[in-house]
Amino acid sequence: MSKVLKLLQDAVGTEYVSDEDFITYAYARGIDSALPPNPPDYVVKPGTAEEVAEVVKIANKYKIPIVPRGGGCCLLGGSKPIEKGSIVLDTARMHKILNIDENALTVTVETGITWAELNSKLNELGYYTGNLGPGSGISAVVGGGLSHHSVGGGGGAKYGTCTQHCVALEVVLPNGDIINTGSNASVYTKEPFCRFGFGPDLTGLFLGDNGLLGIKTKATLEIFPKPPYHAAKTFTIEEPSPENAAKIWLAWRKRGDLGIFDSQLWTLTMVLGTQLLTDVPQIKPWVGLTKAVFFYTMEAETEEQLEANIKIVDRICKENGCTELGPELKDGNYAKWHYEEQGHWLTFHGIWGGMGPGSIPLTTEVHVPIHRFPYIAHKLDEWEAAHKAELDANGGMQSGISTALLCGHTTVEVDAGLLAWDKPQYRAKNLELWKSQLEMLIREGGMPYMLGEIYSKGLIDTEAFNGAYYSFLKSIKQALDPNRIISPGKFYL
Amino acid sequence: MENTKRLSDMVYACSGIGDCRIAYRWAVGRYGVCPVLEHSPQFDPYYARGKIRIAKGILEGLLEPSEGLAKVLYQCTTCGSCHSACHQTMCEYIVLPIGRFIDHTKLFEAMRADLVEEGLGPMPRHREIAEWTRKEHNPYMEKHEDRLKWLPAGKTVPRNADLIWFVGCTEPYRMPELAQAFLKILEAADVDFGIVHPDEWCCGSIFFRTGVWNLARELASHNLEVLKASGAKKVVIHCAGCFRTIAKDYVELFGKLPFEVVNAVDLIRDLLKEGKLKLEKANVKVTYHDPCHLGRHMGIYEAPREILKMMPGVKVVEMKRIRDASWCCGAGGGVKSGFPELAVEIAKDRIKEAEETGADYLVTACPFCIMNLQDAKEALGSKIRVLDIAELVADNLALV
Repeated sequence: MSKVLKLLQDAVGTEYVSDEDFITYAYARGIDSALPPNPPDYVVKPGTAEEVAEVVKIANKYKIPIVPRGGGCCLLGGSKPIEKGSIVLDTARMHKILNIDENALTVTVETGITWAELNSKLNELGYYTGNLGPGSGISAVVGGGLSHHSVGGGGGAKYGTCTQHCVALEVVLPNGDIINTGSNASVYTKEPFCRFGFGPDLTGLFLGDNGLLGIKTKATLEIFPKPPYHAAKTFTIEEPSPENAAKIWLAWRKRGDLGIFDSQLWTLTMVLGTQLLTDVPQIKPWVGLTKAVFFYTMEAETEEQLEANIKIVDRICKENGCTELGPELKDGNYAKWHYEEQGHWLTFHGIWGGMGPGSIPLTTEVHVPIHRFPYIAHKLDEWEAAHKAELDANGGMQSGISTALLCGHTTVEVDAGLLAWDKPQYRAKNLELWKSQLEMLIREGGMPYMLGEIYSKGLIDTEAFNGAYYSFLKSIKQALDPNRIISPGKFYL
Repeated sequence: MENTKRLSDMVYACSGIGDCRIAYRWAVGRYGVCPVLEHSPQFDPYYARGKIRIAKGILEGLLEPSEGLAKVLYQCTTCGSCHSACHQTMCEYIVLPIGRFIDHTKLFEAMRADLVEEGLGPMPRHREIAEWTRKEHNPYMEKHEDRLKWLPAGKTVPRNADLIWFVGCTEPYRMPELAQAFLKILEAADVDFGIVHPDEWCCGSIFFRTGVWNLARELASHNLEVLKASGAKKVVIHCAGCFRTIAKDYVELFGKLPFEVVNAVDLIRDLLKEGKLKLEKANVKVTYHDPCHLGRHMGIYEAPREILKMMPGVKVVEMKRIRDASWCCGAGGGVKSGFPELAVEIAKDRIKEAEETGADYLVTACPFCIMNLQDAKEALGSKIRVLDIAELVADNLALV
């Protein structure tokens, strides 16, 4: 037995460390059809922050890279090793809800809990986390969502990114120290309640860091009472649908808070794709639709408030090319399923296998200001036209925007990307085209948030960061992690 | 790994998103997925995503099968919960692709069959069982000639009939009270039936599940010939394991069978509806556990619930996880014989869940579930009574 294996076993328990090839291989890949598998040397599953700290100290001593991993759902290679000889530190064993504080309106959890499990428990008390994490929130964990500024799993229009509602963290630093941030930074604070204070926002340093700067072991999130009233409506929308959707979203935002919980555009490509690319249409009531689809879900405290907001919202929709489908799911009201049956955590899953078994997306999703969404849509059309022959030759890849969603007050998440075959013979070209599209989007002003390996490197390859910014980022990394222990390779750091 | 290779479309269909790990969707009654995971070190290969990723690695020549891998692959109850959670919308209007492309249970059984061919499977206890079954046609280390001992003294049953009852091994050798309960129901309703004893052999379920496919096929071929020879137009099966095997595995193996196959719960439900069974008031609170063999594998959720509804004085209180999202008892897929402690640990979870309903009885429709739940009940010191739905009906038959 190697010395490192023995030390890791001493740190977390024999049962929770493995160097067996069939275990490590299961951690070699992420959810993409391009990046090559790279098994770690060890997988560890610590049960406490103290055990995480022990693992980090061992890694520092022996200069072994650590890749923190939660649900393993990163679409961009963020939860698999970039460098050889790594430890994958799987946090999923740490999934306890530590405290639901109805007086401070927060919940404190171990970061290995999934968004869905957490919200299932909160729901029993009439609460939710507002933003419900990423689109993969059924399997994605709180730590992963906070590392990515996740937004697509529900509540994004009303609450913005999940990181906006994090008030405190417990983080194991790359040297093995354990710190508390936000209101927990002071030993005198009675409970976590607010992120801002005690000087610089050091919580923010670790939010959206893509696992670069430390390992988040506990998080405190705001909780919100789930409003008693809601509406869910789905429309067809005239072309050019990105222009019309952007006009609607901007008009809503200029009216102030209308209680919009989620709103999405399903492009015409996507609507047709769900009917034509697989043998069974994904959304049966949409069979025969030849227009893009737009929907919103809305929450309110009173029925009167709901009705009043529906009037405003529907008028703006109608003025911008929307025609309402019927009220029930059987009439095509997808929004009803999205809100009432937690479809928000499955809504993007239709893309997996979207061309048939073995087709898996390569996402290039980015944030843009609402008004710039049509421009980005045009740029993606241009990119697709320029690469049509290569896409066709590589097994018939598909390119485009599946959906776009309203995110917070100012932003649209553009769910762009490629649909590719996950077969060894296609992976090299998949990777080349994936990089090409995401670099184009960076250059055109898109702001990626889930970065993983490929987007974090793309930001450097395209020289998106000016010299001073990248230097600053490097300095922070160097100061916290001089031995390059945590997630080495992201941003080429 | 030829069997896995034949299912490579399923292997490549898995995106690896991991909804098969611990999915929660309370709006549709989903609270968790994999019964094994919580009682394991929780590495990815202990649930579906990791297994499929390993299959991909093997197919691409990046990984070799090993004894360690075999041990993990056999710690799966093949309950199919991962399949029902795999991108399943639980909604008739929305059908996401991937769940349709992968039959998780079938894939894991194929991987096990490959391990058997490589000499790495099944587990030692499964090997002993296979060896015995080759000699005595039952997996319980019993003599074939004792198969009929469960029948009440003096009772004779014809070998040829339009309706044949395939009795299986578990009830005759281990749980005769279950077979006797079903017999009592058939007699009370005056149903003509036959039993193909002494020619009936083990249905092969354990060997289909654990990848010992040569033996499974041998047993299936024998039973098919015997059933054909009986002149059966319909075969009724009380044992959920035999039922799944004959109604599903035999059909996959041989194509359409020359007789209809029904489960006992369907027959009992029909007899009650037709007024052929008269019941007394029971005055009990029961909760129903969906056996994987009957529920997720065969889609039978309603018949047992209809039976309970038709029973006077029976109050049904459902557990949190039912039907498609039901929590496996832990016995299936060869886990009870290969990893008995793990099986009981999983069953404890289900007993606790049943206790939360305040039910007097935990009713189910599978002898393996009963056996394992009973073991867990005893280990926990629980007062809940575990019984088969046929026992509940038989116990409450009115004297006419």
